[in-house]
Amino acid sequence: MSSNVSSDLVWAITRNNSSYIVKRGPIKDQIIFTREPLSLTNQHTRKHSGLVNEKAVGVQAGESGNVVLITKRNAEKHGNKPASLYNITTFNKHKSNRKIYSAIASAVAKKSYRADLRQAAVARASAIKRSQKPVKATPESKPRGVKAKKAAEGGVSSA
Amino acid sequence: MAAARKHIPIVKKRTKRFNRHQSDRYKTVKAAWRKPKGIDNRVRRRFKGQAVMPSIGFGSNRKTRHMMPSGHKAFLVQNTSDLDLLLMHNKTYAAEIGHAVSSRKRIEIIAKAKTLGVKVTNPKGRITTDA
Repeated sequence: MSSNVSSDLVWAITRNNSSYIVKRGPIKDQIIFTREPLSLTNQHTRKHSGLVNEKAVGVQAGESGNVVLITKRNAEKHGNKPASLYNITTFNKHKSNRKIYSAIASAVAKKSYRADLRQAAVARASAIKRSQKPVKATPESKPRGVKAKKAAEGGVSSA
Repeated sequence: MAAARKHIPIVKKRTKRFNRHQSDRYKTVKAAWRKPKGIDNRVRRRFKGQAVMPSIGFGSNRKTRHMMPSGHKAFLVQNTSDLDLLLMHNKTYAAEIGHAVSSRKRIEIIAKAKTLGVKVTNPKGRITTDA
């Protein structure tokens, strides 16, 4: 976000309506998610909004099992140049999980960038790594109860 | 598929329906609840042995409201990009595929949900066919 617009103003504008927002459920218990790439939990909140905050973190699944870490660069220098606004780090799929997490934790928290997002960033990277694993086939459901078992056996023997 | 986060037991204070007064006597009076308004009405005046009226006291605990027996809450999903929102929430929300989604897209959604560990509440719709 360009440096001459305050984060609070952007939040006030995008809070109730933006193309990223996904609202579901009854108004009282409404779920509000956001599709922003720089949102770690996909919750539509001030803390997690990548559009609003001058410092924001995103973790995305990259191509062929990679994990991509995105952070925002200095808004004063790059605020009006969206192409160069983001720092993008790609972690190869062969890198061990613990090394990826420690690299993310140091980039997000240790360099005093956004220490409050450390846990969420690592959790998201972990969830992405888990989702990139090959899926186990679901075991076939066995017949339950005496009747069903007899029917299954009888069907096999007669056929 | 991720199991739901641990939660307090779900208590339904009442599982029976609230039927409209005298809906059992006349076929023109349907069972859908209408609050009795008559000056002499015994249900309205809460006489002994009469039908109970719905009230806020029958409501579920805020923490377990809208929760399925599995402990998840339903989140309506139309495509695979909706499913991506649940990556970090597969212990709280389960995906429910919209009724108008085609069987081809349902297969894609279910496959994606499996990789993300998201529970799908209606995985059999439009996918299994009668032999």
